[in-house]
Amino acid sequence: MSLAQVLFYVMAFIVVASALFVASSKNLVRSIFMFFITLFGLAGLYVLALADFVAVTQIVIYVGGVLVLILFAFMLSGKETLNVLQQQKSKFISLNKLPALLLAALFFVVMVNVILKSDVDNVYWVKMVRGANRQIKPNDLMTDNIGINLMTRYLLPFEAISILLMMALVGAAHLTRKEQGTV
Amino acid sequence: MNFYTTYFLIAIGLFAFVALFTLFGVYAERKLSAFIQDRLGPTEVGKFGMLQTLADIMKLIQKELIIPAAADKVLFLMAPVIIFVAVYLGFAALPWAPGLVPANVNIGLYYILAIISIETLGILMAGWGSNNKYSILGAMRSAAQIISYEIPAGFALISVVMIAQTLNLQDISMQQGILSAEKTKFLGFWDVSANGGILAWNIFRAPHLIIAFVIYFIASLAESNRAPFDIPEAESELVAGFHTEFTGLQFALVFLAEYAMMYLVSMVGVILFLGAWNTPLPNIGAVHLANWTTGVAWGIFWIATKTMALIAVQMWIRWTLPRLRVDQLMNLCWKVLTPLAFLCMLISGVWRLWLM
Repeated sequence: MSLAQVLFYVMAFIVVASALFVASSKNLVRSIFMFFITLFGLAGLYVLALADFVAVTQIVIYVGGVLVLILFAFMLSGKETLNVLQQQKSKFISLNKLPALLLAALFFVVMVNVILKSDVDNVYWVKMVRGANRQIKPNDLMTDNIGINLMTRYLLPFEAISILLMMALVGAAHLTRKEQGTV
Repeated sequence: MNFYTTYFLIAIGLFAFVALFTLFGVYAERKLSAFIQDRLGPTEVGKFGMLQTLADIMKLIQKELIIPAAADKVLFLMAPVIIFVAVYLGFAALPWAPGLVPANVNIGLYYILAIISIETLGILMAGWGSNNKYSILGAMRSAAQIISYEIPAGFALISVVMIAQTLNLQDISMQQGILSAEKTKFLGFWDVSANGGILAWNIFRAPHLIIAFVIYFIASLAESNRAPFDIPEAESELVAGFHTEFTGLQFALVFLAEYAMMYLVSMVGVILFLGAWNTPLPNIGAVHLANWTTGVAWGIFWIATKTMALIAVQMWIRWTLPRLRVDQLMNLCWKVLTPLAFLCMLISGVWRLWLM
């Protein structure tokens, strides 16, 4: 096995194991911090897939933003609410877990189907790229490519997303604002 | 296998440098604060008290590791490590001299921004793990402050990136001196590609970057939790904020992280705005000062000197300005720095299109 393969398996193991811990742990704070390890492992997998920009974006947005927001929400909520959440009955199979189990099972079936049906060695577009000798090499400049594509080919979706984010920002600012005269 | 030995050596070397810098930095800070407040500072241990920090470290290492009974042990023990490692990882992408950079990543700047944001997580972990109201208040304040100030800092950096057209820190450094491959213009009209020196630095290539530099510098003070932005520690209100409960080696790690962070943010500022490892001396006619003072050893000397100078300014500010109240802090960030940073970014775009 090459070093890249060893690294892949190590990181995949870290991601899966930490994700399992996140889902099964009784201690909510620890599962949030464990989620950090999952996200970091995922970033490592992206680097192995030569998507370093995506990996760093993952860390900036998920670790620096989303995770910290989750922690904030957690720390600002009262201790009583959290205690109720943490003292669930520990039966593995119960009626109120049925929808979740069903969803998970269905999703699992879909995933297995995807893996079985996709013939990974003979995918059409992979073959095409290989034939035209246009694979991405470790030293290629990927950021330039992303920038150019965002500003030309994907300009409309990019602008639409930025307007959506703008609306969210304005909404958030409006919600936190004090009403005039009721100070 | 030789390859990997070099990697390990570089990592160990960087760690040794960070540790040494912290030793020196703590001593310098104590002497500087003493000078500002008309005191003497450390005088007893060694000549001029120079061995004082060494003695302090010896004391910290020997101390008992105390874990509060109600603390979350795993989080409490992990937190200082994560805080320090997050800062230490950032050093991997910093260029030291022409051709001397631990990891020449093409998204170096973005990587450093990402790594800095991990520190917030470590601080929150420390605050929650200590199970102490002062710790958690300090951690929340710190996280709120770091997240807010990342925005003006990020936009100030983007305005440089728009001028430089690259995220690679080594390329950005290269552009600001005589080794530049493209034409460098002083203030947009005078071609100084051959002169180099201080004239080719980013803050003089485009004058609005001076404002961007000031914005970045203020935001970097906030990101390293130092006065006047030290409400996360606020001795008079919160004992010591998020590191109230730490003793011995753990406290040493938190301290190491603070000084490493000071060095990291200052060095990023130097690389992006103040000419990185380029010499400040320009070529004047037949006197080729810039050519004589460019090289690997000179590069390390210049970048270290400039960074230390910036850190000295950080210390100077810490010991002269009072602490900002939390609403003043947020007002400064959102109503002054962020719009100014946006303006800088806009000017950068126009500058790049029409004047370069």
